[in-house]
Amino acid sequence: MATPPDTLDKVGAGLDALDVPVEAHRPPLWRRFLKTGVPPLIAFALLLGVWQALWASAILPEFQLPAPANVWNELVRSISTGEAFGILWTSLHRAVLGFLAAVVIATPLGLLIAKVRVVRAAIGSLLTGLQSLPSVAWVPAAILWFGVTPSTIYFVVLMGSVPSIANGLVAGIDQIPPLLPRVGRALGAGRFASARHILLPAALPGYLAGLKQGWAFSWRSLMAAEIIATSPQLGVGLGQYLHNGSSLNDINMVIAAIFLILLVGIGIELLLFRPLERAVLRARGLTGAL
Amino acid sequence: MTATLETALLSTADTAVELTAVRKVFGHGSSAVVALDGVDLKVKPGEFVCLLGASGCGKSTLLNIVAGLDAATSGSLQLNTSRPAVMFQEPALMPWLTAARNVELALRFAGVGRLARKRRALELLELVRLGDVADKRPHELSGGMRQRVALARALASTTVSADGAPALLLMDEPFAALDAITRDVLQSELLRVWETTNTAIIFVTHDVREAVRLGQRVVLLSSRPGRVVREWDVKDSSDQVLDEINTHLREVISGHAS
Repeated sequence: MATPPDTLDKVGAGLDALDVPVEAHRPPLWRRFLKTGVPPLIAFALLLGVWQALWASAILPEFQLPAPANVWNELVRSISTGEAFGILWTSLHRAVLGFLAAVVIATPLGLLIAKVRVVRAAIGSLLTGLQSLPSVAWVPAAILWFGVTPSTIYFVVLMGSVPSIANGLVAGIDQIPPLLPRVGRALGAGRFASARHILLPAALPGYLAGLKQGWAFSWRSLMAAEIIATSPQLGVGLGQYLHNGSSLNDINMVIAAIFLILLVGIGIELLLFRPLERAVLRARGLTGAL
Repeated sequence: MTATLETALLSTADTAVELTAVRKVFGHGSSAVVALDGVDLKVKPGEFVCLLGASGCGKSTLLNIVAGLDAATSGSLQLNTSRPAVMFQEPALMPWLTAARNVELALRFAGVGRLARKRRALELLELVRLGDVADKRPHELSGGMRQRVALARALASTTVSADGAPALLLMDEPFAALDAITRDVLQSELLRVWETTNTAIIFVTHDVREAVRLGQRVVLLSSRPGRVVREWDVKDSSDQVLDEINTHLREVISGHAS
């Protein structure tokens, strides 16, 4: 009380100057690459080395453990003939379509479960349970219902990814601090405005985690469906390619297929979900995990 | 609130807020807790009133009722102001929006157009001396700065009404979580903002010194149930008033010892 106002203003300005955050200096590109890009490359090289050594020691017969070079040749062959692109396209477009359909179904479903008490009580735990049911368990039933058709494949993909995405959204909404919607109400937000400008953005990190898991589930469900449900009318996807390799006793093809399946999984994660997640978390100051 | 609109027009000139015999009971039957019991309170347009009381005196409940976040069990509330704005102990900024966007959010809910929103938000941030950090996100600001953004946002939501109704700002211990120096600065900041915007303020606190420094009037509430014990005019505050209020507050609290 004794302090005159202009002195306090100066104190305030001083506090602000002290409080302004120091810009975090971003290391140059080559250093970031050295830190994040090199370790996985070294790990991969080590793995290859161990594989080569195991093969050279000839503990396992050639039809069980192929030489890395032979798998590489199979990969090069399928890429140079264009076969690989056809296979990747068949599987990828199915996975993407299935995933998008799952997003369209799971988002309103998640909202309903999160916000309507009766719905949550009725199907909330069922949805969580479905998440732990391997979607490959749906393949036999789906074949009986739909025959060996694309519908079977899409059904299995949906059963795999819808629960993950819906659960992610529910978790995201459940974790919103209750003060935020209250502030919205105090600022005069209606139900719709509150959902659009407060609930959905606040739930975004959880939703994104759900989407990421949903993608992983739809990709592995697709592989399971494609391996089991094979027929000429379905074309050749990665799953069929893998299945064919096994039928032909061609271990090179089998390993090449596994490699391609992994490549797609890692590629989508690195190119799509990782940057998205980074942007969302960084905007909220949650940089600890990055 | 809506039922009393006709009478509201009659007394617009000298009353911004009028609470009459407001009673609030939580729960039912034997476990019911009476939070507020017959509270009368009048606030003039542009007046700065501090509600003082120990914990459990229902000061936050009273504020929530005025804010329309909670309904009184009985009694009447009459508002001759634009939509009251609320500031909480935590800044409660949206962590994904910049400071400017947070202020704009209040204007968006009030239906203000895009360009007007941008301009007004920047004006308000300048008012709390945060024009320079308009593009920073909450996590990049200090606690005091965040609370000032919250103040700007609260002002945005209460000063947009087109009919020129006087503004009302409700503050629920907004500086309680800040360190002493920052609190000191923010108190003077708030007084400056109050003087320039002519907003009526109801300020809840349990700090007698803060109440006397900020308010024109200090209203002491008793605890469980909350009732108005006494009021002081503290426009020209002296240490004597401070001691007197302190003594009364201690009496109210020690009355609960058993």
